[in-house]
Order: sequence, then C-alpha cells, then structure tokens
Amino acid sequence: MSALIRPVLEIHKYSLSYRTDAGEVMALKDVDLKIQKGETHALVGESGSGKSSLAWAVTRYLAENARDAGGAILLSGEDMIGKSRAELEALRGKRIAMVFQDPASSLNPTMRLGEQLAEVLIRHRGLSKAEAWKEGEAALSRTGIAKPAQMMQRFPHEASGGEKQRVVIAAAYACNPELIIFDEPTTALDILTANQILDLFVKLREETGVAALYISHDLGLVSRIADRVSVIHKGKIVETGPVEEVFHRPQDPYTRRLLAALPRPEDRLAVSAPSTDAAIFRAEGITVEYGKPGFLTRLLDKNAAAHVGARDISLKVRPGELLGIVGESGSGKSTIAKAATGLHPFAGAVEFDGRRFNRREDFDRAYRRDVQIVFQHPDASLNPRETIGGILSRPLKLYNIVPRAEVAKRVAELLEMVLLPREFAQRYPHQLSGGEKQRVAIARAFAAEPKLVICDEITAALDVSVQAAVARLLVDLQERSGAACIFITHDLNLIRQLAHRIVVMQRGELVDTFDVEEAESPERAPYTRALLDALPVPHDVTEVDHQARDFLTEGPTA
Amino acid sequence: MPRALKSPTGLIGTVLLLIVFTAALFGPLIAPYDPQLFHVQARLQGPSREFWLGTDQYGRDLLSRLLNGAPATVLFGLGATVLGVGAGSIIGVIAGVAGGRTDSIVMRILDGMLAMPELLFTLLIVSFLGGGTAQAMLAVAVTFTPGMARISRSAVLSVRTREYVLAAQARGESQAWIVGREVLPNAVAPIIVEATIRVSFAIMIGATLGFLGLGAQPPSTEWGLMVAEARQFMFRNPWCVAVPGLAIAITAMGFNLFGDALRDVFDPKRNH
Repeated sequence: MSALIRPVLEIHKYSLSYRTDAGEVMALKDVDLKIQKGETHALVGESGSGKSSLAWAVTRYLAENARDAGGAILLSGEDMIGKSRAELEALRGKRIAMVFQDPASSLNPTMRLGEQLAEVLIRHRGLSKAEAWKEGEAALSRTGIAKPAQMMQRFPHEASGGEKQRVVIAAAYACNPELIIFDEPTTALDILTANQILDLFVKLREETGVAALYISHDLGLVSRIADRVSVIHKGKIVETGPVEEVFHRPQDPYTRRLLAALPRPEDRLAVSAPSTDAAIFRAEGITVEYGKPGFLTRLLDKNAAAHVGARDISLKVRPGELLGIVGESGSGKSTIAKAATGLHPFAGAVEFDGRRFNRREDFDRAYRRDVQIVFQHPDASLNPRETIGGILSRPLKLYNIVPRAEVAKRVAELLEMVLLPREFAQRYPHQLSGGEKQRVAIARAFAAEPKLVICDEITAALDVSVQAAVARLLVDLQERSGAACIFITHDLNLIRQLAHRIVVMQRGELVDTFDVEEAESPERAPYTRALLDALPVPHDVTEVDHQARDFLTEGPTA
Repeated sequence: MPRALKSPTGLIGTVLLLIVFTAALFGPLIAPYDPQLFHVQARLQGPSREFWLGTDQYGRDLLSRLLNGAPATVLFGLGATVLGVGAGSIIGVIAGVAGGRTDSIVMRILDGMLAMPELLFTLLIVSFLGGGTAQAMLAVAVTFTPGMARISRSAVLSVRTREYVLAAQARGESQAWIVGREVLPNAVAPIIVEATIRVSFAIMIGATLGFLGLGAQPPSTEWGLMVAEARQFMFRNPWCVAVPGLAIAITAMGFNLFGDALRDVFDPKRNH
C-alpha cells in the first residue's frame, strides 16, 4: 500500500567504498532505506558503522577517495547519483537540508546569524534582501527564540550553543525541503539544551510534516522521536522497522546487544555499599582557580580575575564506595579530579586515610600510589611510543610493587584481569581499539593497588556496547580490590547503575548530594530534577524496563 | 623509512640526496684531476671529453673541483644544522617544560633575535668572529637557534598537556623521566623534519657567505666560493658559475624534498 505513494527518499541496494592505502574499503553494503512523507526515520549505529557516510552519500557530498559501488539513491523518484554539480547546488538547502552535530563549526563565525539565514532564502526562494530578512525572523521565532530580531544581528560567538543550533535548524526548515538530515544534532550540546532542541524538533515536525533522517548513536533518544528505525552495523543495515517493533522484539543479535548495553538505573551493577561511615578520602573546601592574572596584568587591568574552576567543594568517599560526580561540561567536575591527583594547585584541604594535605606539593609517593586516575580519552592516555607491557610495568617499578624479576608475570596477570590476552604486552597502543586502550588505562591504575581510583569520564568517548563492558569491568575490579572510586560522568543513567552516592555540580559549585536510592525523592535540588527529567530514558525498550519507564515518565517531562 | 619513498617528492628527494652523499663521501677519490692543477692551455672551456664540465679561469677541471668541494659543503650544512638544532631544541624544551616565567623570559629574548633577518644576523656574527669556515658555521648555527627553539617549544607544549603526561605526573614520576620518556619521544618528529629542511638553508647561507668572501677562503673548493671566484668570467664561460650553482641547488632541493616527505610520514593523520 505504501509502495503506491512515492517515498521522499528511497535508497536501493546502495554500496559505497573508499580507496585507502590498505586497498578498497567498503563503507556501505547493499543499503536499503525508504522514508515516506512526514516520517522520521532514525539511523542508529556506533562509530565507524557508516551512518555518516550514508548521510554524505544522500547529499552527494562525498570525499575524493569515495566511490559509488552500485545501487541507487532516489529523492522523490529522481536519481541523485547522476546529478551534475550545478544541479546538486541548486538542490541542497532547497530540497535536502542538513543539520550537523556541532553548531559552532557549521556557522560562519564572521557573518551575522541573520545574513546566514537570509542567504538560504535569497538563493533558493529568490526573495529580496528585505523579504528574506523578515522571513528569517519569522523562521527564528518558530524555533522558539525569544527575540528573533536581535538574534539576527548577532554573530555566532554571541549566541549560546543551543541558540546556534536553533538558527541552523531554522535555516534547514526555511525553504520547506522535502527531506532534512539530522546528523547527531544534540551530541555536542549539554543535556538540558539537547532536550529543548529535541522538543523543538518534535514541534517543527508536527507543524511542517517534513521527512527526516535522524542519525544518532543514542538508542534512548531515538525511541523518543522516531517513527521507524534502521540499525546499521559495519556498513550493513541489520534491522529496520517501526520503533516499537524493533525495541520490543529485536530480531538481529546486534540490535539485541545494543539494547542490552543501554544503561538502566534500576539495573544495578554496584558492589554492596560500605557499612562504615568513616571516610577514606575527604575534600574540605577545595577551590581551584585557573589563569590567575600576573602582577603586570593586575597593574594594567584592575578587574582582571582568575576563572574559578571549582568553589568550596567538600565531599567524602568511604572505603569501597563508588561516588558519582555528575554535571554538565564546564561544571568543574574534572577540576576536582585534577586537584585531587595533584595536577592542579588548589586551596582547601584533602584528607586521605588519616593524613591531611594542604597543598599539592605535599602529596607524596605514598599518596600518589593510593590515589590513581583514569582519563577520558583512551587515545590520549597511553604513550604512543611505549608498548602496553612497558606502560603497565611502570607503576609496578615506580612503587616497587613486585620484585623486578616478577614484573613481566604481573603485567600478564594485569592484562588478564582486564580481560585482554597476554600477548598484548608486546603491542603498541595504536594497534588496540578504543575500548581495549581504556582497559589498559584501567589496568595501569589498578596496578598500583590503590585505595581510591578517580575515573574522569572514562566511558564518554566509547560506544554504547563498549561502555557497558568497561563499566562492568570497573565494578568487578572494585569488588576484587576493595578500592573506593570517584566516577565522574555526565551520564545520569549510567551513574545510577554504578554509584552508591551521587554529588551534582553546576558552574563550579556543588549543588546536591544524595544516596542513589533517593534520586527520585522530591527533596532533590531543582537542578538535579531538571537533569533527571531531561534524560532520554530508553522507554519501551524491554519488558523488564516497564516499571522503570513508568516511574520515570511520571516526572514533569516537557 | 620506506614510506618516505612512496611519494614522488620523497623519491626525488632521496635520489638527489643519494647523489650528493655519494659525491661527498667518494668525491675526492673519483675526481679525474687534481682540483688545484692548472691546465694553462684549456682555460674557461665548455664541457668536452677531456673536461666533462669544463674548466675555470685557471684551467682547473670543474668536475674535480666540484667533487672535492662536496664534503666541505655538505659538512658545513650538516654541522651548522646539528649545532643550531641542538642548541635550539635544548632551549626550547627547557622553556616548554618549565613554563611560566622562565618560558616568558626565554621566549621574549628569542623573539628579539628572530626579528632580525637571518642573513643579516649571520653577517653580524661573522663580522664579530671573523671570516673562515668554522666561524661561518658557528654563525649559521646561532642564527638557527631561536627558530628551532620556537619549534621545539611548541612541539613540547602540544605533548605536555596530553593525558599520558598528566598520568605520569599524577603517578609522581620525576621531571627527568617525564621529559625523557613521555614528552621527548613524542615531540621529536617535528624537530627532525624541521632540521632536515634547515640543512638546505644552511648550505645556501654558507654558499652566500662563501660568495661574499666571509666563509671559506681560496683555494678552497667550497661551492659558494667557486661561484664567487668565477663571477667575473661568467660571460666568457657560463659553465664555471652554473656548475657549482646547480650543485648547490640540487643539494638544497634534495634536503628540502626529503624533509617534506618526512613531514608527511610523521603526520599523525597518516599514522592511523
């Protein structure tokens, strides 16, 4: 029946390959996809799955070494592959629009927002400059910007990330295109802003009925906005169907694995809570300042002041406990990690295991051994010129943990502890995947046999399925070693699985501290509530999940 | 470095360098005549079967002079670069690692030195030290130091904030270990690339100094000096200027292309 109506976008057995030094690499294999008018079709996949390649293929904006390897892409029945450059230029923005991940880099920093918006209208709808400006204002007001006339006059750096993304969205909708491609439009935004952008997306879709291809790695988010979903894995679409159908009865093993990997608050992973109330680590009124102005600067500019990364933070961690620190980017959560590991000077005091430190210079080797840190980016946290074995043996030698002769044996044990083969000791970091590198970084931290491990966003740079495995590994190691842990993250779903207690930070200050069981309690600070409500909870995902969904959607979700 | 050979630039650069180094190593041995021997009957001649590249104003065989001058010229380039790069990198690494006030003071002084044009600065130093090959080499090395310091400092800075360096700091490693094992091995690539390209500059500045009579002194067969000596006979026999001039150009180009290819090899984007 639907075959009678011509779909807006029809991709038929399309394949795409890239020529590389290593030969021809297939990025997309026999992809089939149909989007009807008014439909939101989500394309879900992990990094490297080919989801962005597909978006580029549809807009015919391909890299120089890309080659169409068969199949067809039809926009309202018209073949896209054979189109000339001039035809494509006339068509992009008018019939297909795109919204990218990072609004900061998709807008020209030297042009006013209004000019960039009007440009689309002048070019594709042939409006005069004055008409385009007026039309642009109207488009902006539709995206919920309070003072569109003023926003039109601003430059990109004068607008917030959310406002910029609204302008990009307004430009995308301005010419009433047939299809809009959204490439992870909320990934670069903070969770609260992302939530507003999603609401805007839903509203505009209802108003305009434009077909949308929504590319994302986030299953929870997709379940909230899409009609149909396709799951892409290694360039192949492994499963496609209505959202409910795919999430309730996933057919493909890969889809099932993805769904199982989604962090769900009620699915607790944590070790049992510590019984004692004594603290092993205590921060007392920690304040960290960045970029303190020098003597000369102060002399010339009386108003020069340091940027405060964290202000008067007090928190404690009990032995064996996992404390979550949650906040948006720039909230100061990583600053705390840097202060506690002596990477940045601080004011205030740190108390650890009965000893008190007032300056970072006081941190001695014993303290540094007991407090280990794991960083966010697995690619950057291992020295590329050292073998994995060399990296892991360093803490063993530095802190004299095992006799020299037994270092190699201990390295092999450490690798096995993080579920990696012993042979990895001879490899270099670039020969490992992101998840494997993060395991090595975790092994390096636990090699020192620490009492406290600080994990700074260690899952943020990883794919969903790898994230879950790394989180499980961490909890498992914590259980075996009895170490306490500070887990810094922006992912509330994940931290509710792992933590015993959670502290929430906002703009360098601590706004809320609570036991994880009390996350839903009405006593929570308004900011905590807002964060919780903004979460794209993977509702309707599995039968087990229903209870959780019910009590989560009861909140005042917009 | 087989990947350096895969690009046309790298291949041409390597071939040119091979020719130059062969000349520098075996030149004096394979030269057909004594470079100082006068052939009074055959002055300022073009290439012939007897003299492959012609002769100069005293009838000396140009090919023999060229081959004999190769070691001095190449050594000059390499020596000046090694000295300049060595001193510059040490200063740059110290400034980059120390940071703060040390960094500011060192870099401001170097900025002042950089403000002077390279050749002018070299001339100034030579006028202090006096003429001669060793003095000229030292002068070029001093001229290179501020630029190399700047490059090595920025290489160190870009590595210093990487997470593996932070991890070493958090672990409580000594400063020397952090610099030697974590920072330097990862910062050395851009320094090597820059050094390779600088060899060509050094050879050209050396030749210029020789031309101006401030570098090597007659009867040296240094290439720049050869051009200078033959200058006034240029119109009677262009070969005696063109031959050493071309040799300088080929050497400079060889180092330059090879350096460019090295840069591509070290480019992290191509290092998967």
